[in-house]
Amino acid sequence: MRKFGAVLTLMAILAMIVAGNAGAATKGIVIDGSTTVGPIAKSFAAYFTKKYKVPVTVSESGSGNGAKSLINKSCDIADMSRSMKPQELAAAKSKGVNPVQSVVALDGIAIVVHPSNPVRSLSEAQIADIYSGRITNWRQAGGPNFPIVVIQRESNSGTQETFKDLVLKKAKVVRTAETQASNGAVKNRVSQTPGAIGFLGLGYVDSSVKKVAVNGVFPSVVTVKNRTYPLSRPLFMYTNGRPSGMVAKFVDLPKTPEGQRIIKELGFVPKY
Amino acid sequence: MNGDVASNQSRSSEFIVSAQKHKIQKIKQKAGEAILLLIASFVAIVVFFIFWFVARDAVPFFRLRGFAEFFTSADWYPADDPPKFGSLAIIYGSLMVTLGSALIAVPMGVIASICLSDILPFSVRQYVKPVIEMLAAIPSVAYGFFALVVFAPLLQNNGGPILMWTWWVIAAPFFLLAVIVASELLTTSIAKESMKKSAKMALNIVLSLLAILFLYVVGNHLQGLVIMSGTNALNVSIILSFMALPTIVSVSEDALQAVGRELREGSYALGATRAETIVKTILPAASSGILAAVILGIMRALGETMVVWMASGNSSSIPVPFYNYLDSVRTLTATIAGDMGEADQVTGSARFHVLFAMGLLLLIVSFVSNLISERIVVRQRKILSGQ
Amino acid sequence: MNLGTRKLLDHSFTALGFGSIIIMGLALLVVLFPIATKGVGAFVFKGTIEHRKLLLSEFHRGDPKEIVKEETETNRYRQKVFDMLAAFDQELDQMDYEQQSKYRSSYDQVKTSLRTLLGPLPGDSEPALTRFQYGQTRWDKAEEKLHGLLYEQKWDYSNPDVIAKPYDVSRAAGFAGTSLVKLFPYVEENLDKMMMPEWTFYWGFFTESSLDAHFFGGIWPEIQGTIFLAIGAMLFAFPLGVIAAIYFTEYARDGFLTSMLRSANSTLAGVPSIVFGLFGLAFFINTLHVSESKSVLAGSLTLAIMILPTIIRAAEEAILAVPKTYKEASLGLGSTKWNTIVTVILPAALPGILTGGVISLGRAAGETAPIIFTAAVSVGAAIGLGDVLTSPTPALSWNIYNLASEHEAAAEIRHVQYGMVLALVTVVLLLNLSAVILRARISKKLKG
Repeated sequence: MRKFGAVLTLMAILAMIVAGNAGAATKGIVIDGSTTVGPIAKSFAAYFTKKYKVPVTVSESGSGNGAKSLINKSCDIADMSRSMKPQELAAAKSKGVNPVQSVVALDGIAIVVHPSNPVRSLSEAQIADIYSGRITNWRQAGGPNFPIVVIQRESNSGTQETFKDLVLKKAKVVRTAETQASNGAVKNRVSQTPGAIGFLGLGYVDSSVKKVAVNGVFPSVVTVKNRTYPLSRPLFMYTNGRPSGMVAKFVDLPKTPEGQRIIKELGFVPKY
Repeated sequence: MNGDVASNQSRSSEFIVSAQKHKIQKIKQKAGEAILLLIASFVAIVVFFIFWFVARDAVPFFRLRGFAEFFTSADWYPADDPPKFGSLAIIYGSLMVTLGSALIAVPMGVIASICLSDILPFSVRQYVKPVIEMLAAIPSVAYGFFALVVFAPLLQNNGGPILMWTWWVIAAPFFLLAVIVASELLTTSIAKESMKKSAKMALNIVLSLLAILFLYVVGNHLQGLVIMSGTNALNVSIILSFMALPTIVSVSEDALQAVGRELREGSYALGATRAETIVKTILPAASSGILAAVILGIMRALGETMVVWMASGNSSSIPVPFYNYLDSVRTLTATIAGDMGEADQVTGSARFHVLFAMGLLLLIVSFVSNLISERIVVRQRKILSGQ
Repeated sequence: MNLGTRKLLDHSFTALGFGSIIIMGLALLVVLFPIATKGVGAFVFKGTIEHRKLLLSEFHRGDPKEIVKEETETNRYRQKVFDMLAAFDQELDQMDYEQQSKYRSSYDQVKTSLRTLLGPLPGDSEPALTRFQYGQTRWDKAEEKLHGLLYEQKWDYSNPDVIAKPYDVSRAAGFAGTSLVKLFPYVEENLDKMMMPEWTFYWGFFTESSLDAHFFGGIWPEIQGTIFLAIGAMLFAFPLGVIAAIYFTEYARDGFLTSMLRSANSTLAGVPSIVFGLFGLAFFINTLHVSESKSVLAGSLTLAIMILPTIIRAAEEAILAVPKTYKEASLGLGSTKWNTIVTVILPAALPGILTGGVISLGRAAGETAPIIFTAAVSVGAAIGLGDVLTSPTPALSWNIYNLASEHEAAAEIRHVQYGMVLALVTVVLLLNLSAVILRARISKKLKG
């Protein structure tokens, strides 16, 4: 029986550790939504928690999920990398939620390939052909004789929807496209796979992948801001009604110098 | 105790009251039993609820889109306008990785269970069992992490040589054995001893050369394979087989143990070797139990989520050619986990319900195979106990 | 077949058996080895002065005096680097535009590399993100980054018809003839003096919250979330499971009802884990509204249902293993059935029941799929005990997935991921090990 005494003691100690932590958190700001906006939201959260001592939880479950959470009133702020769809707005109205949009930052969707790929530039039409499966070898796009591995995002991704709207228009993504859950995962896959092509929020691009010019324009802070780069879009945070109190402070962070610095350091483009 | 004796004495004088008491006690007992039954049937209620709630959200999908598209089309475009919910490729992906893992796990698991029950001495068995339990205990997300971070890059960068070496290590001993047995069997009809020997020798050499040639050609082909992406059906199948192994081993070991000593001893007494005893006598007797083990192991692989979500590549297409394990696939479980992001009542309801339809499909398959394996086990127990 | 061949076949068969068991053992090793070795690296590593600075300013830990002393020491060596940069800045100013643009981008890369290595350079404005406020905290990473400073990786695109091969170009060569040339050998030689690496046991990895999206800090919120979820699941499942097992073993009569209940139990055991997640979402959250959205409570309930069959089976076996004589003796002494169960059978079966409980606890801690839709978030503070009814929580299993395949810099924080996997695997395997030991004790006791 002594052994079970020991087990019980162990459990009691565990319970004490847990209880010792009780009451540490109070109700803070809950954020859900896009993985593209995720880094900004997480960094804002860290900054905000430090400055105002308000805890912030961030879920990165996709723009669609963010909209759902806002409509179900289970989050204070929904990060979205696309604007809300009419159906979502209608659903929100029917549940008594009034989504208010504010722009966090601008983002370019960078087309990336493995650094070993000599291709420097692609036209929008070529990208559309690659993603719809009409081009399957880099030779057809002015590159080496090497099969193309097409990498796309999960269907709940705002980046995916924006990409489809801007590039593919009505065409469908080829079935063999590999599907990754986030910008980070796409970057990882592309950086490990010669022959891969993927699309990322500009903030995610680093030296492990190679940016490709679209219609001859490289994505950068400047080209996104002056709109010469074709694949760019605003990133949003949605709140229920005009935000007030701490939520308002949070949503207005992109207008503050600190907020803009965070956005720049993360590789996004400040709007204000 | 003393009190009890005292009350017993007084009870005899108040017979009627005690009968009443007895009655109350009985009612109490019945009530208690009913409560227990209620709690015990909680599990059944839960199972019913699971079916009910998953089906409740799955039915609207079939009402909206019918059955044909879901089962026969491979166009999975849930977010497009108009959306398409053809899940054939996804169902195929699930079947493919399940089959792949079964191809690895079933032979290995059955042989390992034989080794455990009939070959290894008890003292060694004690150390092997925890190893199997540990394989079963490692959380699926840890396997998924391993598959994604360690195994996928390895497979992608050195896939060809790895496949070639695996082929050589596994196939070479088998071929060697096959050569020896074949030359033995082919020369049995030769009567003269000296001729038999030289014929055997010649056959040995010829067959070995053929075998080596074959091994070399296949190995060379494997080495030349270019693996475009390490997150593919092969990767997932191998990892899933690790996860299915413990189930297969422990259940089929039970089945083998259930085969009595008499059969074994009878076989040995007739002069059979251990291998012959096992293959010709014990395996047939335990076959249904092993079948049950295989079904349970396969279900483990089919229902696994994290490994396939992290390491299968998630492309919803049927590989070309259809047996190409080096292509990436998408499974039912990974689709449910990954697509739930948009899965809500807010937009396109079919899109939410299709995931429940997939869940229902998984649920029905697991329910049916569970019933089958249970039946098999019960029947085997009856047969072995001689009824 | 002659006897020799038969024997050979027999031996090969034995070898095959041993082989497959060895492969299983190897599989276990192959999976556990990288997790164990690299996982330890998450909290035992050569920490640099940056690590100690970070601990001091973010977690108020360490000896301030000592750290200041070390900092002045390292700054002495760093100052030379900064001086060289300043000198080159001046040199650059005096060049004409063409020369300037020749060096500009390469020089910017050098500066960026130095920033990642040593932290902000003098004259930089204080970065807003913690990840940019410090240099490399780990010596192994610092050495990697040093390579990035000394060499530039380029790709040979000369032949557009083939996939290019990478090659390293010495940055020093690019600056030949300028004052900056000296910087590269200097940094290479004196990096250890600028960083002061020493072996660190960073126990804060298990007790501290993460900083800046898991770039720094520990995994306590995840560990705590896992504990909450697993213990919560046990609170629901254990009593229910034991009572159900008592019914099955002591009260149930053979019949349709009992066999149906048993079937239900094994069906529940076979339900894929993701379906539990769907059910938890559809039932606990969308129908019962136990919480507005994801919460520890909803996750625990879902996990409880998942581990219920395991507990019932283990408890049943344990109860059946109690010798009949115990029960008969108790009943013979005039004890009621229920009394017998509570005072005689359960205590005797307790170790076995606990074994099952401990294994289920491990399973609940390790499962991911059921909590995706019901309890888990990717970033969050450790929640208090009072919030379990309403708040979601980070949990080890989910965050391993999240960091490994969704994090924006997954490849940069592999050590954190390995550390998390190690923590999870260790907890689960320790629980299983204790179950194995417990079982061994029981079988010894039963043998007498």
